[in-house]
Amino acid sequence: MIEMKNITRYYGNFRALNNISLSVEKGEILGLLGPNGAGKTTAMRILTSFLPATSGTATVAGFDVFEDSLEVRRRLGYLPETPPVYPEMTVESYLNFVGEIKELAGKVRKERIAEIADRIGLTDNLQRIIGHLSKGYRQRVGIAQALLHNPDVLILDEPTVGLDPNQIIEIRGLIKDLAKDHTIILSTHYLAEVSMTCSRVVIINEGEIVAEDSVENLEKGATGATHYKITLKPSESNDWREIIDKTAGTKISAELHEAGLIKFNLELPSEKEFDSMFEKIVAKGTVFREISPVKASLEDVFIKLTSGEERKADA
Amino acid sequence: MKILAIMKKELQSYFYSPIAYIVFASFLLIVGYLFWVVLVTSKLASLEPLFYNASFVLLLASPVLTMRLISEERKSKTMELLLTSPISPVEIVTGKFLACLILYLALIVLTMQYPILLSRYSNAFDMGPVYSGYLGMVLLSSAFISLGLFASSLSENQIISAMISFGGLMLFWIFGWARHAFDNAFGHMLGNLSIFDRYSDFLRGIVDSGNVIFFVVFTFIWLFLATRVLESERWR
Repeated sequence: MIEMKNITRYYGNFRALNNISLSVEKGEILGLLGPNGAGKTTAMRILTSFLPATSGTATVAGFDVFEDSLEVRRRLGYLPETPPVYPEMTVESYLNFVGEIKELAGKVRKERIAEIADRIGLTDNLQRIIGHLSKGYRQRVGIAQALLHNPDVLILDEPTVGLDPNQIIEIRGLIKDLAKDHTIILSTHYLAEVSMTCSRVVIINEGEIVAEDSVENLEKGATGATHYKITLKPSESNDWREIIDKTAGTKISAELHEAGLIKFNLELPSEKEFDSMFEKIVAKGTVFREISPVKASLEDVFIKLTSGEERKADA
Repeated sequence: MKILAIMKKELQSYFYSPIAYIVFASFLLIVGYLFWVVLVTSKLASLEPLFYNASFVLLLASPVLTMRLISEERKSKTMELLLTSPISPVEIVTGKFLACLILYLALIVLTMQYPILLSRYSNAFDMGPVYSGYLGMVLLSSAFISLGLFASSLSENQIISAMISFGGLMLFWIFGWARHAFDNAFGHMLGNLSIFDRYSDFLRGIVDSGNVIFFVVFTFIWLFLATRVLESERWR
C-alpha cells in the first residue's frame, strides 16, 4: 500500500533523510518512532506529496507521490503536527469546507460529517468556533479532517499530542479500530503508544532507519542478557549470594531487605547455567518466593538505538 | 466545486474577522468626505475626482485586504491541508482571487450612491464617463488584487506581503512619470506600464481595448505567478 525506496531529502546542506526504504502492507499500522528532529515529519510530508524527495521514489496505493500526486492525495488522509484548522470557523463549517475540497458530494458530505463527529466525540461541539476549543478538541477536529473522505491511507503525525489520558486511550482505540479498513502510518514519541497500537515499528534516528521489526521482536532483542526479579527467604547460613557470585557473568542489583525477605534484580548471561545454580541454592535451604522475568521495554530499545554516541564512548 | 469552496471560505474569514468591516467603514468615510469637499469647492457635477480618490484609497487598502490570503495559510499551517488535498494551486488562487474581487465589487457598488445623487440633482450630468469609469475601477481592482495575492504567496509574514504589494502597486501607479523624465523609447515603455495612465483613459470616457487587455493580462500574469509559487513547494 505504501512504499518508500531509497528516499533522501536535503534541506540546503542538512540531510534530513538518508536512503530510507520502507513498505507498509494493507491494513497494517506502522509506527514511526524517533527523537525530535529525526526525520519523521519529513518522511510523512514526502508521502503526502507536500514535500518532494531529493532522490528516491515513493508510492501510495500504487501511485507515485511526485508523478501522480493528485491521485495520491485523493486516497490519503493526513494529520500534520499542528492541526490544520481555521480558528475563526465553526467545527461544522470547517469540516464542510474540508469535505468540499476533498471532493465529497453534498449529501454524502453531511452524512460523513455526522458519522465522524459521532465517532470522534465532536457532535456536541459542531457549532463551536474552533479558536475557542481546547487543544484536545482542536486535535480531534484535525483527526476528523483526516478521516472525513474515508481514505485508504492515513498518515498521522503525533495524533495523541495534547490530549488528556482518557482521550489518549479513546483515540488509540479509534486508531486500532480504523486499521480494519485503512492502512496507517503514525509517528510518536510515546513508546507506549507504539506498543499498544502498532503492528510494526520503524525507529528513525538522524535521518536513518536504525531498527525495523515487530514490537515483540524489538523488545526481545534489546539486551543480550536476561533479567529476573527475585524475592527469596535466605537460609540460616545465608550462602545464596556466594553461589550466585561464583557463577560467571551474573550480576545482582537493586538489593532490598524487607521483613526477612531479600529482593533484588538478577542478570544472567545465558539460560543454560541456571539450573545447577538454583538447585545448589535451594539445596542449602533458601526458599524462593518470586522469580519473574523482566522484559526490556521499548524504552530501553529506543534509548539504546538512538543514543549511539554514548555507546561508542562506553566501549 | 472546489473553487467555490475556497471562495466561500475566504469570504467567511473576511466577515468573521473585523478586517472587512473596518476597511468598508474607512473607505466609505474617506470617499464620502472627499466627494463632499470636492463638490462644494468645485461646484462641478463630475465624478472624475471621486474616481481618482476612490481608486487611490483602494490602492492603500489593497495590501491590507490581500496580505493574509496566502501568508496566513502558511503561518497557521493550513497550507498543509490545502496542498495535501485533491485541489490544484490554480483552484486555490482562483478561489481566493474571486473572494477578494467580490469584496471589492461590494465596495464599488456602495460608491454608486454618488452618481445617482449627481444625476438626480444636476442638469448637465454625463453618464458616459461614469459607466466607463466603473469598468475601469473593476479592472483596476482585479489588478490590485492579483499583485497583492502574488505578494502574499511569497512570505508567511503578512507585513512583508503587505509591503511588497504596496511597493509594487505604487510603482505601477507612478510609472507614467517616466514619460516626463526621459522622452525616449525607455521612458515610453515604462509609461505604458502605468496602471494610473490607463485608468485615466477610462475616467475620460474612453474604453480602449488596449487598456482593457492590459488590465486583463496584468491580472493573469500575477495570478499565474502566484500559482507557480504554490506549485514550487512540490518540487523545491
